[in-house]
Amino acid sequence: MESMKFIIHRVEDWNLLAQQLVQRLPSNAVLTLSGPLGAGKTTLVQAIARVLGASQNPRSPTFSLVRTYKLANTSPFSTLVHVDAYRLESPSDAITLGFDELAAEDGSLLVIEWPERLGSILNALHKPIVRLTITQDSGSEVRRVDFLMN
Amino acid sequence: MRILGIETSCDETAISILNVSEKSVKVEQDLVSSQIPIHQKYGGVVPEVAARSHVPETVALITQALGKKGMKAFDAIAVTSGPGLATALRVGIEAGRVMAMLSGKPIVGVNHLEGHLASSWLNAENRKRWQYPMLALVVSGGHTELVLMKEACKYRIIGQTRDDAAGEAFDKSAKLMGLPYPGGPQIAKLALEGDVKGFDLPRPMLRDGSFDFSFSGLKTAVRQAWEPWADVRAHGNATLFEQKKRDLAASLQQAIVDVLVTKTISAAKKHKVKGVLLVGGVSANLMLRERLALEIKTQLVGVAFLPSDKLYVTDNAAMIAAAGYWRLKKGEKHDWKKIEAKPEWNL
Repeated sequence: MESMKFIIHRVEDWNLLAQQLVQRLPSNAVLTLSGPLGAGKTTLVQAIARVLGASQNPRSPTFSLVRTYKLANTSPFSTLVHVDAYRLESPSDAITLGFDELAAEDGSLLVIEWPERLGSILNALHKPIVRLTITQDSGSEVRRVDFLMN
Repeated sequence: MRILGIETSCDETAISILNVSEKSVKVEQDLVSSQIPIHQKYGGVVPEVAARSHVPETVALITQALGKKGMKAFDAIAVTSGPGLATALRVGIEAGRVMAMLSGKPIVGVNHLEGHLASSWLNAENRKRWQYPMLALVVSGGHTELVLMKEACKYRIIGQTRDDAAGEAFDKSAKLMGLPYPGGPQIAKLALEGDVKGFDLPRPMLRDGSFDFSFSGLKTAVRQAWEPWADVRAHGNATLFEQKKRDLAASLQQAIVDVLVTKTISAAKKHKVKGVLLVGGVSANLMLRERLALEIKTQLVGVAFLPSDKLYVTDNAAMIAAAGYWRLKKGEKHDWKKIEAKPEWNL
């Protein structure tokens, strides 16, 4: 198990974090992003997409639940699958929504916001999971990002 | 011509029958799953349904819509093919394919966004003033787009959100303020008695010259604005707490509406459109409707304001059938064997 810390002072720091993160992601990785509303989860996904040469700038998947982006040929992943579990009422929703199908695809980088709402489903995927948590003190704009790989 | 509309792109399962003739456009059936009591849909027997499953809903609603007429109840089928959730889209598409195969009637795949545009056309007054080119502001929980409608079925997205949709900004800000879901209507209600100048919130990208939007930063702004007041109630001042909540709701609504209206008006001016459509769930917001109507009246003389009826602002199948009619009229129809889900379909 490997753990790391990163401090975000300015908007540009998200790009640096994305670059470092992408280098460390194993193939077939699932990246989970935890943190309160407005912490910067989607901003980080946008930075990751830029680093990987995504076809489009990711927009929030909160309403659509899933958005998929093609990645550049030079990228270690073929597609970026951006999932947002924010609106799910129970982990079983994820099955009805075809979440297991998405996870079964090889070569994609699965990024999941609000992974807490998926319960134990993630563990059943049998994929390497990188867990990232963004925290922020009240009244401060500085974000602390912790990540844990196992 | 009667068109069977099928919509299953996201949360809702919706089925409708739209009757279009030379003289009129009539919504004969308009069934939206979440608005029908469960025992009514399944004839008193409540099945053990997994949450958010479109399958039993689709079967129940189609059965209800067709009634005794069966396959004679419609002449063509329109089904949402995208954008949306693949698993959800496929349910509607499979239903449409089966109906097309069994009935031998034509089927067209419809873009969900085009459906929203067509929701405005369901209104008879709007149809009288329907004249291209037009501009549409599509605002909902998942969409914030400015669509230039050059001619029938010819579109170009000239602006869109770069992060969160406007509806999402309402909902998530409401959540940060501790309001129940869905947040949009709650904010609008509180805003009625709030001071729009109570809090100074940003108008993201208001004067950047593009027609794009960005609402993600509002979450941080709302959280920061609310933090000092969130505990006021605990310290015994409930009146002040309630007033600040109303002020923040009013300031937030004002900020979102300002950006939406300003960008829509300047895009309408630039592209010299003859009409402006306002569609999607957030278009139910009264302040947005009134402000846009007023600005069009004063700044765009002679330009028609074409909001869709409140009945059809959220996801429904009548709008899908209407867009399907546009496509059929152009001579378009698809082979049922080849129609497929396009989760990332751009208009």
